[in-house]
Amino acid sequence: MMGAKRRRLIGNILAYAAMFLIVALSVLPVVWTFLISIKPDEEVITATLTYLPKRPVWDNYVSIWTRSGFPQLILNSAVTTAVTVAICTTTGTLAAYAVARTRFAGRQKVLLLYLAVRMFPAVMIVIPLFIVLRNVGLLDSRLGLALAYTSFLLPVFIWMMKGFFDAIPPELEEAARIDGASRLTAMLRVILPLVLGGLVATSVFVAIGAWNEYLFALMLTSSSGSRTWPVGLQLMVGEFQLPWGALAAGGMISIAPVVILFAIVQRALVRGLTAGAVKG
Amino acid sequence: MGLGTLSERRGWVWFLLVPSLLLIAAVVLYPTLWGMSLSFREMRLNRPDLGTGFVGLKHYMALWNDPVFWLSLRNTLVWVVGATIGEFLLGLATALLLNRGLPGFRAASVLILLPWFLPNVVAGHIWALMLDPRLGVINDILVRIGVLDSYFAWFADPDTALGAAMVVEIWHGFPFFALLLLAGLKAVPNELYESAEIDGAGPFARFRHVILPQLQMIIVASVVLRVISLVNAPDIILILTGGGPGRASQVLSLYAFLKVSKEFNFGYGSALAMVLFVGLMGFSYLYVRLSNVLRQ
Repeated sequence: MMGAKRRRLIGNILAYAAMFLIVALSVLPVVWTFLISIKPDEEVITATLTYLPKRPVWDNYVSIWTRSGFPQLILNSAVTTAVTVAICTTTGTLAAYAVARTRFAGRQKVLLLYLAVRMFPAVMIVIPLFIVLRNVGLLDSRLGLALAYTSFLLPVFIWMMKGFFDAIPPELEEAARIDGASRLTAMLRVILPLVLGGLVATSVFVAIGAWNEYLFALMLTSSSGSRTWPVGLQLMVGEFQLPWGALAAGGMISIAPVVILFAIVQRALVRGLTAGAVKG
Repeated sequence: MGLGTLSERRGWVWFLLVPSLLLIAAVVLYPTLWGMSLSFREMRLNRPDLGTGFVGLKHYMALWNDPVFWLSLRNTLVWVVGATIGEFLLGLATALLLNRGLPGFRAASVLILLPWFLPNVVAGHIWALMLDPRLGVINDILVRIGVLDSYFAWFADPDTALGAAMVVEIWHGFPFFALLLLAGLKAVPNELYESAEIDGAGPFARFRHVILPQLQMIIVASVVLRVISLVNAPDIILILTGGGPGRASQVLSLYAFLKVSKEFNFGYGSALAMVLFVGLMGFSYLYVRLSNVLRQ
């Protein structure tokens, strides 16, 4: 019979081996793409595959950046993302504060609405949204696309922020009110500073969602003045037979902000994403 | 009157709620109603001569007799069931491992989230590069270890296109389950494990009788959310295969999307989207009911 200590040791070794495999599976495809992005063309298209680049170069990054309006695509995505985040943080923070920290008739119904809206199918919304945006003249505009993004990002924002507001002790507003602060002051000066970390993390989550989005952008934008990078990059692949190295470099440039932002706020972000789930 | 004074009035909470409610009404509820009405109307942007009048159930009848609809429905079922099960199992295994809390596992729990945060377009192309029939690294590895005789065109073969896209989707989506299930595992009180261990329960019995019941709520909620997004989001398939070769990997959401974006047939596309919508509502309702019954 094996001792408990020995069994635990073997269990831990197996756990490390399995974890290593899963981490490799998650990370290696991205590493591989990075390697392709720093290989010169003749090392990508070869008879026998070379794994590590013999002569790393940044040519692909220069080539994609100077090609047919890639900076414009990035700019459009940045503007659309910024507008989406601005809309969500203003309207969403107010709504999350209301449902988390006040009790009013109809609260359950409002909560249910925010939850139900999360379950609406994207395809169901994007088709009529095309017509609606066209009718109000916002089709093929960055503002119109940002408004479309709030359809699925605002409900998520409200639910995550509600979790952060819920975590603050309920007596704080009362204490501020006894000191003579108005409800507005209590909200802005007392509570809001306490959820600032959560607000930043939630905003980053919404920003990543808007930055990455493909289907709505494909449907709702068509000109170079509003087209975002996922649509533009996909177009380059389809229409101009973008070389591999340049495609990989374009992908690396586009995910850089996502990876950096995520790395900065990951602790609070993971807390926000899972808080709602655990409570059910 | 200042805003501070305003906040002292009754019903001020509605001042906080109205902006978001208006926005949701404008970008979700109003378009959805439009979509429902569109599914009973003629609307082709490239055929203005047909007008936009009501045509009753015309689109739904056409859909019933449309072989592509039935094929897409079948593919949607395969796609959603396969990807959900794959993502769930890989996510559960990851969560159970991470929950052992060994040194270094916190960093691992952050690294495994990388696929989930990658844009669909980049995730798709990363795998398209790795599975490329001429220069793909996975083909190279499979040939080297003797699984394949020669490089294979995974996305160009009708037998493997949907399956290969599913692999990409599972890679992209499993961290979602890992994240939520790990949070659920951490919420299981330690005494439960300990008392089960004292009772002499082996690892499988512990999993079956202690962990699984505790995770049930999270499993139900995360599966519903994931199924909804898998049914709805044709992004990965659109990027990798465009529904092809032929219609081998065509799913319903992609069919609806292409009807609208390529053929400008908004009426028919909306009818397809309505079928998805009603199907999803029915699924969510039955699934939640069923899991409640099983629990009792």
